[in-house]
Amino acid sequence: MTGVTVSGEAFVHPALFYRGDTAYLAATVPFIRDGLAAGEPVAVAVPERNLALLREALGGQADAVRFIDMQQAGRNPGRIIPRVLRAFADAHQGRRVRIIGEPIWAGRTAQEYPACVQHEALINYAFTGRDVTIVCPYDTGRLSAAVLADAEATHPVVRDGGLERPSGAYAPDRVIARYNEPLPLPPGVSTFTFDAKSLPEARHFAAGLAAGFGLPDGRHSDLELSVAELTTNSVVHGGGAGTLRVWAEGDHLVCEVEDRGHISAPLAGRCPPPPTQPGGRGLLMVHYVTDLVRTHTRPQGTTTRFYLRR
Amino acid sequence: MSASGEISLTTQPEWEGALERLLSRGGDAYLELSDVTFVDVAGTSALALAAQRLGRAGRRIVVHEPPPSLRRALEMFWSDLTVIEVTG
Repeated sequence: MTGVTVSGEAFVHPALFYRGDTAYLAATVPFIRDGLAAGEPVAVAVPERNLALLREALGGQADAVRFIDMQQAGRNPGRIIPRVLRAFADAHQGRRVRIIGEPIWAGRTAQEYPACVQHEALINYAFTGRDVTIVCPYDTGRLSAAVLADAEATHPVVRDGGLERPSGAYAPDRVIARYNEPLPLPPGVSTFTFDAKSLPEARHFAAGLAAGFGLPDGRHSDLELSVAELTTNSVVHGGGAGTLRVWAEGDHLVCEVEDRGHISAPLAGRCPPPPTQPGGRGLLMVHYVTDLVRTHTRPQGTTTRFYLRR
Repeated sequence: MSASGEISLTTQPEWEGALERLLSRGGDAYLELSDVTFVDVAGTSALALAAQRLGRAGRRIVVHEPPPSLRRALEMFWSDLTVIEVTG
């Protein structure tokens, strides 16, 4: 990805390094209050514990802030850009907005983490030219040095101890590429190969396995929709055919679709189309209704894997 | 108008044709979907786009007993599209 200028941008995307509640509040509360004083819409999308801290610290001003539990809304990091950040910014078109977005916390799993870092890197492209500030807090007391190094690579500036400095390690493309990792398969995977004629059968194949894997009734349509959208994408954009695999892993039902396509647009599946546009919602739907999406894409083919809590 | 079976890639042209015919009639539209087992996101998108055109003409559309997949896509992408009334 080239041609993206960061200096002089309307969009501001600092990482905020903090250690402890006092430092967290000292860095975030003035940012919120300044925004409210300037008449800017403010949203706070952070883990539940930090939501409670901020609510209490803001007192009566909390009513003017949109609070979002990031552990729910952003459980799948792939939906944070369209469903949390763009949703808030787009609802206030024509005005500068401020968002505190904390997508990475100490409880993120090894499966989730690569998708979280890619999400942070993609924010820089999703908001190019927009009048938006997104501050991303990182808990330096609980996150590893490797996570903090990634944060320096995904944010053009870093705020640390009350000071702001440019991040010399800023390289979002490199981070997106590095976490575009092969997705190893566990033993015990059920496989179904499909083409245009067998799309419904592919969906039935996954649905038939889901009950045995303990997927709650309320999530069967999420599974069917996700399988349908990914397999349809394979038929339309990914060489006309593909392989569907289903298995159980820990607390999750996992499905993946592999085909011969290559996703060359990194923001695929993260840009909500205008309501009058007929297409372009398939991959978004997968991000919206699943708990995690991982992707490995290369010129020879693409694997998209999603997780549903069972 | 009523439909049955699945609305997905291979049946999409037929579905869009049916929605066009529904639009070309006057008055409010009624869609009986209790025999439809699945609608993919493109199918729901076609319905939502048709509904927006009806809405601009001051008309409404009632969708009876759609499958959960259609309800879910409406909830995700068109939660403020009041011109569609889902019943049953």
